[in-house]
Amino acid sequence: MLDITRNWPRPVWHSPWKIYRVISSHLGRVRSVAFDPSNRWFCTGSADRTIKIWDLASGTLQLSLTGHVGQIRSLAVSTRQPYLFSGGDDKQVKCWDLEQNKVIRSYHGHLSAVYSMALHPTLDVLVTGGRDSLCRVWDIRLKNVQVHVLTGHEDTVSSLLTRPTDPQVISGSHDTTIKLWDLRRGKPFSTLTHHKKSVRALTHLPKLDRGNCFASASTNTIKKFNLPRGEFLHNMLSQQKSIINAMAVNEDGVMATGGDNGSMWFWDWKSGHNFQQSQTIAQPGSLENEGGIDALCYDVTGTRLVTCEADKTIKMWKQDVKATPETHL
Amino acid sequence: MTSLKELIPPPTASTTTYYDHSSDPWFRQRFSSSEAERSAAVVKPNPVPQYLKRQGFVPRKVEDFGEGGAFPEIHIAQYPLGMGRDKVSKPGTKILPVSVDANGEIAYDAIVKQNENSRKIVYSQHKDIVPKILKDAEEEMEEDEDEEEQKVIEETTAETKAALEKIVNVRLSAAQPKNVAKQSSESQYIKYKPSQKSEAFNSGAKERIIRMMEMPVDPLEPPKFKHKRVPRASGSPPVPVMHSPPRPVTVKDQQDWKIPPCISNWKNPKGYTIPLDKRLAADGRGLQDVQINDNFAKLSESLYVAEQKAREAVAMRSKVQKEMLMKEKEKKEQELRALAQKARSERTGAAPPAAVPMASDRTAMDTDIRGDYERPTREKETEYPKETREEREEKMRREKIREERRKERERERRLEAKDVAMGKKSKITRDRDRDISEKVALGMASAGAGKGGEVMYDQRLFNQEKGMDSGFATDDQYNVYDKGLFTAQPTLSTLYRPKKDVDGEMYGGADEQLDKIMKTDRFKPDRGFGGAAERAGPRDRPVEFEKDAVEEADPFGLDQFLTEVKKGGKKALDKVGTGGTMRASAGSSMRDGYEGGSSRSRIGFERGR
Repeated sequence: MLDITRNWPRPVWHSPWKIYRVISSHLGRVRSVAFDPSNRWFCTGSADRTIKIWDLASGTLQLSLTGHVGQIRSLAVSTRQPYLFSGGDDKQVKCWDLEQNKVIRSYHGHLSAVYSMALHPTLDVLVTGGRDSLCRVWDIRLKNVQVHVLTGHEDTVSSLLTRPTDPQVISGSHDTTIKLWDLRRGKPFSTLTHHKKSVRALTHLPKLDRGNCFASASTNTIKKFNLPRGEFLHNMLSQQKSIINAMAVNEDGVMATGGDNGSMWFWDWKSGHNFQQSQTIAQPGSLENEGGIDALCYDVTGTRLVTCEADKTIKMWKQDVKATPETHL
Repeated sequence: MTSLKELIPPPTASTTTYYDHSSDPWFRQRFSSSEAERSAAVVKPNPVPQYLKRQGFVPRKVEDFGEGGAFPEIHIAQYPLGMGRDKVSKPGTKILPVSVDANGEIAYDAIVKQNENSRKIVYSQHKDIVPKILKDAEEEMEEDEDEEEQKVIEETTAETKAALEKIVNVRLSAAQPKNVAKQSSESQYIKYKPSQKSEAFNSGAKERIIRMMEMPVDPLEPPKFKHKRVPRASGSPPVPVMHSPPRPVTVKDQQDWKIPPCISNWKNPKGYTIPLDKRLAADGRGLQDVQINDNFAKLSESLYVAEQKAREAVAMRSKVQKEMLMKEKEKKEQELRALAQKARSERTGAAPPAAVPMASDRTAMDTDIRGDYERPTREKETEYPKETREEREEKMRREKIREERRKERERERRLEAKDVAMGKKSKITRDRDRDISEKVALGMASAGAGKGGEVMYDQRLFNQEKGMDSGFATDDQYNVYDKGLFTAQPTLSTLYRPKKDVDGEMYGGADEQLDKIMKTDRFKPDRGFGGAAERAGPRDRPVEFEKDAVEEADPFGLDQFLTEVKKGGKKALDKVGTGGTMRASAGSSMRDGYEGGSSRSRIGFERGR
C-alpha cells in the first residue's frame, strides 16, 4: 500500500472550466450530444423528439430534424460517411443522410428503447444498446441485418464504447457489470463486476493509445480499468455524491463528469484528482429538481465542452484562460 | 499355509440349513456340475504375499490386491478396486480436482474458471481490487509504437471485417430467393445384403437394391413446423463479484426514492376504492399555495362604498322629493283654503276682503296680519270707532273659530293622508268599502232590512259569464277548476285565416268541392243491412225509434207547426245551459258525446228548434 501511495502520479494542474454560453431552444430534456468530426457543428437530441444541429462557433441553430416519435437517447456521427445515427425511446435507430437531411435507413430489431450507441472507428459497424439488455451490431450499409446480437447482460445496456483493437466493444449496464466483447465471435471475453451500482457512463482517451484505459462511472464511484485485459486500476480519488450520467475525457487529460443532481466535476485523468466541482443552475422558470446533466461531450479539439441538461438547455464550457496555478487550485 | 479349518475345532452344529438341491430334479442338472466343481476345487494361487513378507511387492493392477485393500506398508500410490484414481480424464464427472497455480498456492477460483469461463478473463483475486498505477502511462508514444499500433489495428480490423462479412453474407443470401438450396434429383442406388438369409425373408434373394432419392419439396409450401423460442440459458458460469456488498439503504434514502402509486383521475381498471385525499394527492394541491389576487378585496370594498353612496344619494333624493311634495301640498291646501275662505266670507257677508289667511303655520304671523288689518281697519275705526271694536271682537272670535276649524281639518287631512299612505284603513273607510253581502255576513246590515227599500246587490254577482252554469256539480265532485286554463278561442280565431281561393280554377271553387263531398255516394253502401233503415248521423238516444206513423199521419206538418208555436220557438233563455264547454253530468258518469271536456269549441250541429 505504501508503495502505491508514494508512486501515485502527481496531479497535473488544469485551469478551471466555466460556462460561456447557454443555448435554450429545446422543448424537452436534452438527452444526447454528438460532434461533427470536422468540428464545425454538433447535434443534440432531446426529449421533444427533435435533433437540432448547432453551429459550434456561434451557437446558432442550423437545422432541426424530426422523425422520431420518442425521446432521442443517443447520437453518433460517422467519421467516414456523412451520416448521423440516432436512437430513441421508440425503439428506432435511424440513419440520417446529412447531405439530404433526411432518414435513409432505419434499423429494426430492438425490442425496447435504445439507450446508447457507438460507431466503430475503423469498420462500418454500428453498435447499439438498449433496455432489452442486448447490444446489437449492425452493418451500416444493410438495413435490417444484425451482424451480431451481444447477449449476456441482465439489465439495460446504458453505455457503449468501441475501439479499433480488442476488446472492440465495451458495454456497461444497469446490472452493474461491464463486459468486454469479442466482435468476431460476438461473445464476451471478460466481465468486470467491480461496480456496486449501475454503470451509466463509459469513456476512454480519444487517442488510440496502447496503454489505453477506460473509465466507468456509476453512482458515487468512477473506476479506471486497463485495456486490453480489463484489469482494475484504481478509483477516482473523490466521490461525487450523485448518479453520474455522463463522462468525457479530452486529450489534456481533463475528465468531466456530469451528475443527475446538476453537479459537474472535473478530474485529472491520470491521477484521479478532482480539481473542480461546480453546480449547474437550472434555467429560470424550471423546477429546482430539473437541474441535472444528461449528456456531455468534448469537441474534437478538446477545448470546448458541451453539456446537455434536464432543464432543456445546452451549456457550453471552456477553460478559464486567465487562471494560473497561483490564482486557482 | 495351514488352512484355517485345521486350526479351529470342528463345528458342533451342522451347517446345512439351506435346501438340499441334490434331490430336486430341476436343480440337479445345474448344481451337480457345481458340486463337481466344488469337489474338485482348485486352490487358486493367492497373488497377495503374506504379511511381513511383502518386501518388493508392488501392486499395480486390481488383481494384485486380491480381494483386499491397499497395503499400508507399501509406500506407493495404490488404487485397490480402481478407487481414488484421477477422474479428470473421464468426461462427465462433476468433481473438480484441486489444482495448484504457478506460485504453488491452491487455486480456489478453479471453479469459476471452468467450462466457458476458461476461455475468458475472469478476475477473482484480491489483487484485482487493489488499486494500481500503470507504469507506462507516463511514457510518451514513440513512432515505432505508433506504427506497430497501426498494424495491430489494421490486422484486427481486417480480421473482424472478414468475420462479420461472412455472417452477413449468410444472412443476406438466406433472404434472397435465388439462393434457395436446390435439390439434387439424382438417385442413389444402394445394394443391401440383409443378415437373415432364409427362404422366408426377401423371397430367397441374397441382396436387395434400394434406390434412394430426395423427396421432392414443394418450394411454395409454408413451413411445416412452428419454431418455438426457447429462452437461452445464461451462458457462462457466474463471475465473482469484485466489490463489497452494497451498503444497506438508510431510511432517509428509502424515503427519498419512494414513488407513490399512480392514481389516475380517469382510469381505474381494477375498480379500487381509493380515499379522496389520495385521489387529490396526485394533483399537487397540497404543494401549492393558493394566492388570491388583491383585486378581489378591492372590488368588494369598492362595491361596499358604492352601495353606501347610492343609499345616501337615494335618501337625499327622497327627502328632497318629499319636501317638494309637502310644499306643493301645502300650496294647494292654501289655495283651497283661500277659496273656501272666499266662499265663506261671501256667505257670511262683511268680511274684510283683504283678509286672506295664509298658511296655518303662520300663527305667529297672524297677529301681524291682524295687526296689518287692524291698521287699515283702525283707519276705518277712526271713522267708526264703536262699530269697529265690536266688529273687531266678533272678528277675533270668528277668526279663532276659523283657526280651530282649520286646524282640525288639517289634522284630519294629515291623518287620512298618513293612513292612506300607510295602507291603513280606518273603521269608517273600511266600512264604506265593503260590499253589502260582506256586511250581511258581518252582521252590520241585515238582509232585507229595508222593507221595500232599495235592494242592495253585491257587485261581484253582476257581469259574470257563467251564472247558473258554473259548477253545478254534486257535492262529492271535486272540480277544482270550473273554467279551462285557456279561454275558448272563437271559431274564427287567428289560427287559420282562409286565403284567397287560389286553387279555385284547378279544383273547382269551395262550393263545388263541398257539393262534391256532400253528394258523394262512396260511403253509402249499395245495399244496406237487411231490416235496418239508413241513419245519417250518430244516434242520440239508446234506441232510436222511427216516427213513420207520425209523418204519415201528418203530411203537411201542421201538428208540428202548432206544437212549435206553443213552445214558442226560439226563446231568449233557450240556450242557457247549452253553451259552455262543461256538460252537466248525472252523478259522476259521463254522457255520450262528452269528449274529455277540451277547451276547443266544436261546431255543434244542432237541430233547429
